[in-house]
Amino acid sequence: MGRADPRGVGGGFPGSGVRWAIAAGGLLLAALAPAALTDYPVHVLTVAWYYVILASSWNLIAGYAGLFSLAHHVFAGIGGYASALMVIRTGVPVPVGIACGGVLAGAAGYVIGALTLRMRALYLALATWAFAESTRVFVSMEYGITRGDLGLPVPRLFHTSSPRGYYEVFLLLAAATVAGLALLLRSRIGYRLRAIRDDEGAARAAGVNTVRWKRFVFAASSGIAGIGGAAYGHYIGLLSPVGMRFDEMALIIIMVILGGQRTLAGPVIGALLVETVSEALRAYGQIRMVLFALVVLGVMRLYPPGLAGLAREAARARRRGGSPSA
Amino acid sequence: MDTTLIAQYVLAGLVIGVIYCVMAVGITFIYSVMKMINWAMGEFYMIGGYLQYLLITLWLGPSRWYLALPLAVLGAGLLGMLIQRVLLRPMFVGQVERLDEYATIVTISLTVLFRNLAIVLFGPYQFSPRDYAPAVMLGPLPLNGSRLVALLGAIVLLGVFAVGTRWTWFGRALRAAAQNRLGALSAGINLPWVDTLAFGIGVGLAGAAGALLAPVFLVFPESGALSTVKGFEIIVIGGLGSLPGSIVGGLLLGLVESLGSVFFSPSFRDVYGFGLLLLILALRPAGLWGEQTREA
Repeated sequence: MGRADPRGVGGGFPGSGVRWAIAAGGLLLAALAPAALTDYPVHVLTVAWYYVILASSWNLIAGYAGLFSLAHHVFAGIGGYASALMVIRTGVPVPVGIACGGVLAGAAGYVIGALTLRMRALYLALATWAFAESTRVFVSMEYGITRGDLGLPVPRLFHTSSPRGYYEVFLLLAAATVAGLALLLRSRIGYRLRAIRDDEGAARAAGVNTVRWKRFVFAASSGIAGIGGAAYGHYIGLLSPVGMRFDEMALIIIMVILGGQRTLAGPVIGALLVETVSEALRAYGQIRMVLFALVVLGVMRLYPPGLAGLAREAARARRRGGSPSA
Repeated sequence: MDTTLIAQYVLAGLVIGVIYCVMAVGITFIYSVMKMINWAMGEFYMIGGYLQYLLITLWLGPSRWYLALPLAVLGAGLLGMLIQRVLLRPMFVGQVERLDEYATIVTISLTVLFRNLAIVLFGPYQFSPRDYAPAVMLGPLPLNGSRLVALLGAIVLLGVFAVGTRWTWFGRALRAAAQNRLGALSAGINLPWVDTLAFGIGVGLAGAAGALLAPVFLVFPESGALSTVKGFEIIVIGGLGSLPGSIVGGLLLGLVESLGSVFFSPSFRDVYGFGLLLLILALRPAGLWGEQTREA
């Protein structure tokens, strides 16, 4: 149940070689996929990679560092609005705007991290939630700058609404996020974060600067979300406070839990699965969200390691010589 | 500015404030016994509203709304107890690590579940039950009949709750569990059952607020969202786990919103509460009545 991988990095599969092979194979498959698909599935997958970015970065702060932030979707929104307004007002190129959006969201995350340093888990969740809701209300009321509920038209990155090209951008961002997290979690910083999660007092006693690393992880995960949100805005071409609704946060949580918390592969699997399945079931309306919620409740209650944990267990069983289904 | 108008807004603020209190007391009650936050509180508010509406339109008729009220509350409470038994009890028998995280994820999933279930079952429409009573005049101030009923109902509920937790054996058991779980257990209190009942009562209060306010704020799948926001604002303002804090916070929030609307602009109504919240968090990080606890 939520055990940290003994080797430290909670990858999905035993054996570094196998893991890399699967990751590389998946990446290759993902890179070649658009060639075989029409525009609509490519669009769905592009959005799915966007959610991979959000889910993975939330898994960093909530899963690995144990800071249960409920403002992740709003940091993505802050990145989106910051980048869009930069590009509209100052005319900088879109990639510069995206970078600025990431920096700004990271700075906002740093401030929130600093404000919530002393808070216990439940208060942190409440405080981040209050920040998220007040930001959303503010943005939807603030017609002068963000055009509020009317939505803000955003210049597109490639001046087209076709998902071709954007797909590669989001795939690259998602892959960079996951690779960056893998490196981070393998480093001393990753161990420090996990130590803070498991026992903050003990971590401090062992010489971990808990204040610095808690602020760091807030800034890092919010910054990643901000870059993702900024890129998303320049793909969809319209930003609105709807993306800052709490439902969006719930969706990220569903993706991470379903895929497997505290694993690198989990959020990737979860985000891809939830996004594609919910598109496939679009005709059936909201019943798909009911199903996802039920599945998540089942996962939490019966099998917390999620799909990535399932895969890991199957691989272990195979390595031991048993059949994977055993 | 016209005194009558201000008095009118103060009255409206107090009426809404009392209803907010019911939500906040439910949240803080569940927290103090089970040490968890129920994020699905607003969904039980929504369920209370739907139950009330369905009972009135399908069975009892609009004139017998007062019979529907207790049934709606009971329905919401029983559903809460069922959910506690199936999903939340494992937290307390050593089957779950990281209790805060488990409770948060489960109850957030419940919000998604109930909200979308409401859309699937009843569609995204707004249902409006008829007003419970005709408008009345309190001195020079007119008051909508449903709001008056909601006000009185909320006061009665809070009164019953206060008396019940203070003077009955069961209320004492609940408070004992809130103060010291191990102590309560060794005094022979059946904690799992107390937890289940506490959760049922807490969400029953939310259901009651939803049923009482059904004609005022209407019944629709997301009707609980705003009440969750208010409830959480209040408990952060008043202090998590403090009943007096919830009452004072609720009234304060109702007043600030009302007076903010009359003195500044009504369109920013929902922002004033957050302003108050941030102010109080800056001055007293644990809320007005919150205990300054140390991390073990």
